[in-house]
Order: sequence, then C-alpha cells, then structure tokens
Amino acid sequence: MKSGFHISLMGWNKFLRDQEEEYNIYVPVKKDVAIDYDLINNCSLPSIIYNTPKPVTPLKLFFLPVKENVTLESTGSVRKNVIVGTPACDLAALGILDEMYLTPPFIDSYYKMRRDNTILIGTDCYDLLEHCHCTTYGIKPYPTQNHDISLSVIDERAYIHINTDKGEAFLEGVNKVDEPVGLNEEDVELIHSKRQHTRDRLDKKNVQLPGYKETGELIKDSDDAIWEKYAKACVSCGACTAICPTCTCFLMIDRPGFEKIRQLDACQYPGFARIAAGEDHLKDLTDRFKNRYLCKYVWKAEKFDSIACTGCGRCIETCIGGIDKNELFMELASIVEAE
Amino acid sequence: MITDDNIYKPFRVKVESIVDESPLIKTFVLRPEHDFSFKTGEFIELTLDGIGEAPFTPSSSPLEHEKIEVTVMKTGYVTDRLHAIEAGEVLGIRGPFGRGYPLDKFYGKEVVILGGGCGFAPIRSLMYNLIAEKDKLKKVILCYGAKTPEDCIYKPFVLEIRKIDKFKVYRSVDHADETWEEKEGVVTVLLDDLDVDIQNSVAVVCGPPVMMKFGTMKLLELGYKEENIYLSMEKNMSCALGKCGHCMMGDYFVCKDGPVFSYDEIKDYPNIWM
Repeated sequence: MKSGFHISLMGWNKFLRDQEEEYNIYVPVKKDVAIDYDLINNCSLPSIIYNTPKPVTPLKLFFLPVKENVTLESTGSVRKNVIVGTPACDLAALGILDEMYLTPPFIDSYYKMRRDNTILIGTDCYDLLEHCHCTTYGIKPYPTQNHDISLSVIDERAYIHINTDKGEAFLEGVNKVDEPVGLNEEDVELIHSKRQHTRDRLDKKNVQLPGYKETGELIKDSDDAIWEKYAKACVSCGACTAICPTCTCFLMIDRPGFEKIRQLDACQYPGFARIAAGEDHLKDLTDRFKNRYLCKYVWKAEKFDSIACTGCGRCIETCIGGIDKNELFMELASIVEAE
Repeated sequence: MITDDNIYKPFRVKVESIVDESPLIKTFVLRPEHDFSFKTGEFIELTLDGIGEAPFTPSSSPLEHEKIEVTVMKTGYVTDRLHAIEAGEVLGIRGPFGRGYPLDKFYGKEVVILGGGCGFAPIRSLMYNLIAEKDKLKKVILCYGAKTPEDCIYKPFVLEIRKIDKFKVYRSVDHADETWEEKEGVVTVLLDDLDVDIQNSVAVVCGPPVMMKFGTMKLLELGYKEENIYLSMEKNMSCALGKCGHCMMGDYFVCKDGPVFSYDEIKDYPNIWM
C-alpha cells in the first residue's frame, strides 16, 4: 500500500466523471435485476453502487472480449479503461489469466495491450450475495492483488489507497474536486473493522464448504454416481463458463486473408475436444460436466500458481438447471466423512 | 520460433508440389517465405486461407530448412479441402510448437518405432534425423502397419532405408492382396518376433489412437519400461499456445507440454486414448 487519503464521495464521483474526457470510466450501477458496469456518462452519479458484490460482467471480458480479430494491426492510440468497483474475487481471477496470456514466449499482445491500458480500482465488499464464498478459497473480500487503487466508501466518504504508480498518476488532480485528508490510525481501524466484519460473515456462512485444495482431493477421489446425479440437470448451455471470471477457453475461427478470430468457447459444449478422426474424450455430458471441476480444482491447481476458482458464485447464480456446485462439494465431503 | 510479435498470425508458404501417397493421404511440399527450422516431433499449425487451421507434425527432415513437407490424411473439414488444392497455392504456418522426440535419450540404444497409417508422417521426420545420427545408435527397427497394401505410404522411402546399415523395416497390412509379400495382421504382430535387447531399447509409437493403445500395451507386455515408451499424442490442438484449452489432457496442454510424452507421464490421466 503506497499511500492513502479520503475525500467526499460526491467529490470522488465528480473526479471520476471529469476523467471521462481522457478515459473510459466504468462504474458499478444498479440495473433491473443486478449490479453491472456501465460507462459513467451513461448513468447518474447517485446510481453508482460501491462496496456491494458484484457486477454481473466478469472482469475477464474487459481483457478477452467474447469475439475478437487477433490478426489485425493495432490501430495506434488506444483509449484507456478505468474499471471502478471491481470486487476482490475478480481481481484474484486476473492472476491465472496473466499466467496464461502473459507468460513468454507466447504473450497474447491483445490481452497485454488491454492490461497495460487499464486502471483497476478495486473495492471492499461490505455486503454479500447468497453464493459468495471467496474466503473459503483463501481470498479476502477486499483488494489485495492486481489493483492499482482500492476504494472503501464509508459514511459518504471515499477512502482511497494507492497501490501502483499507474494508480498514482490517475489520481493526479483529485485535489481539484475536494481537499484530500490523509488517513489516520482511526480511519485505518474503521476500514479494517468493516473488512473484518465481511470476512467473519463469509466464514460463518460457508463454514461447511471444503477449501480449494480439499475440494480438489474430493473430486479426485470421487465416484461417478455423484457426477451423474448432478449432471442430470445440466443442458450443456455453457453459461457457467461464460460468466466465470477464470474460464477463457476459446475457439480459433479463420477468415479470408489469413485472419484469425479468437472466440470464447467452453468445454461444456459438445465437440469441444473432438479430433478430426472422431475421437472425443468429452463426448459424454457427464464427462464434460465433471471436466470443468477437474480443470478448476485439480489440473489448473497443479499447473498454475494462481487460483482457478475465486468463489464468486456466479456459476451457481446463472445455472438454468439450478446446479449448485457448493452443494455438490458438501455432499462429496459428507460422503467421505461417512466412510 | 515466432517470427512476429503476434502469436496468432501465420506466415506464408507456397505449395511447391503435391505427392499422392495413398488414396487418402497426400504430402504437400511447402516453401516458406523465409528459412524455417523445427526439431523432429514438434508440430505446426497449417492454415488454408479462410477455411481453417489444423495441427500437423512435419514429415520432412528437420535438417532441411528451405522446404518443409506435411503429410495429410483426408479426414475432416480442413483436410478434405486441403486435398482439393493444387501446387502454387499459398498456405499459412504458425510454429513450430511443442516438445518433440528426446533424441539424446535414444543415443546408444536400440530404437523400435511402431507406426500406423498416417502416423508414419512424424516418424519419417524422425527417421531422417536418426539416419543422420546413426553412428550414435545401436540399431533402428521400424514396424509399420496400414489397412491395405495401397494404404502403405512412403514406399520409395522404405526402399531407401532398407538399404541402410543398422536400419530395418517390417511392415504389415490388415488385409493383404496377392501382391503383398510382407506380414498380414494388425501392426502389433510385427512385435512378436523382434530381435531386440529390450533392456537397452526405447520405443516410439505414432498412429491412430486405438493402435497407440494396443501398441503401448504390447510393448509393456514385452518388458519395456513405461518411461522408455514415447507417444505422439493426438488431441485437438487448436491455438498451439497453451491457451485455448481444447487439447487439455489432465494438467497437460498437449500442444505445449507434448505432443510427445513418455507413457509414464500420461498413463494416469483419464481417456488418453480417446
């Protein structure tokens, strides 16, 4: 944490809107059914909601659009994005994306360009949704990684922590809207207690849910029966992967002129693993259903340093079959316990 | 070797000639717009403009830098259309990618190579390399199987290597005809009377998944150690960069961590032969 200050919430929002000339400023806004990001010039300042989980759109889509031509030359100057109000689960999800897309020798220049040109303003969660379970997987419900600035809004004051030089540069001129007040011990304690309160609530709510590594072990040792049971409600729609902040599997599509399109794909779709001669180890729906959890909790857990499930709970919220993976894992845990 | 900052962008190659190897298999002789090198067993992504891209392991010698040969079986959307093109066409290449054959582990050994159908393609490239390094090898035995005599590919190449000291080629076909003077039966029958010191031997298997499975089982039965059996795995390598996820096999991206694996590296993963 480099340094911090607080200003009035009104002043902060005004500051953000003033930056619209230079940046695309995305803020979390209450929509009909949920919170989602919108450009700040599309919404009224009071409709911006901070410290509340969580925008429907997973952060990955700002860096890996659903469909993108990845062979066109860069168009030169790029307008920078500022994404405000990102919860810690989504910030944590960038870890594995960075490992996959920024590790030499195969650096995805499109992903890198967007990462370089984005300023991330993460926020604490002071509330939780039904399926939030970040703390179960070791993630704190406030920004600890991958953010440039962190924001805590308490009693109409915006408490700002600067985490990177990029963040510091963005905040230049913030004193024009309101006089920043340096953080004292009391402020730090206030923020800490709010954060701790959310952690306690999450820990208590998910006390029976197995942790990340433990879930991997449970999956490895599991019998087919439980997967067959839960897969009965799965229709291979792929919504869980589309909304997941760490699922980024894609399809390469060819266009004339040797152009390539990178389009979001999913292991849940039939044919995902099929090879030309016809063999397909994910032909069976139950195998595809289980594959997603093997991938997240076993294989990627072994391959990457960063976590492949951040406990955001979006896949549970979005599933039209009503499949709750946490119910599945608790059932697996109880089977093991009974044995 | 990525020639551009953009990992998705292919470079151009001109189809110099096309060789009919069998009714379903053709070899495309390609001349890249600049020198191109690969290690044997590594693969490339070949683009047919506007149609699609598919992974192939070159069948030419890795010691040749000015042209590259790719042997293609007509078996899917891209390969059907590749078979319809003519010399002069311009294709795209990305690569080379992945981990090829660990030649240093073959030195001082007797090398047994089991190939089936179009699986001869990567093996031919390997053979060129082994011929060049034959002083470092005890002997090389190639066992090759195809469905019928007319499905056997690289007939002139087989005649050539049969003349080379230390090299032997045995062939079988599932269904023989009156012209066939070699074995009849699935390719694993060739392993039955092999003159080889298994303790000082490594095996290479490349072919259709079902043949790889039974070939590997047979080699294990004969006493080969799991770590001495090298397999060219076939999965849906789409981006070839360890990103798109299509070729994941357990915690391996076959495109990046393979496509060549020793059997002990992959034996515990589900559905490796599918």
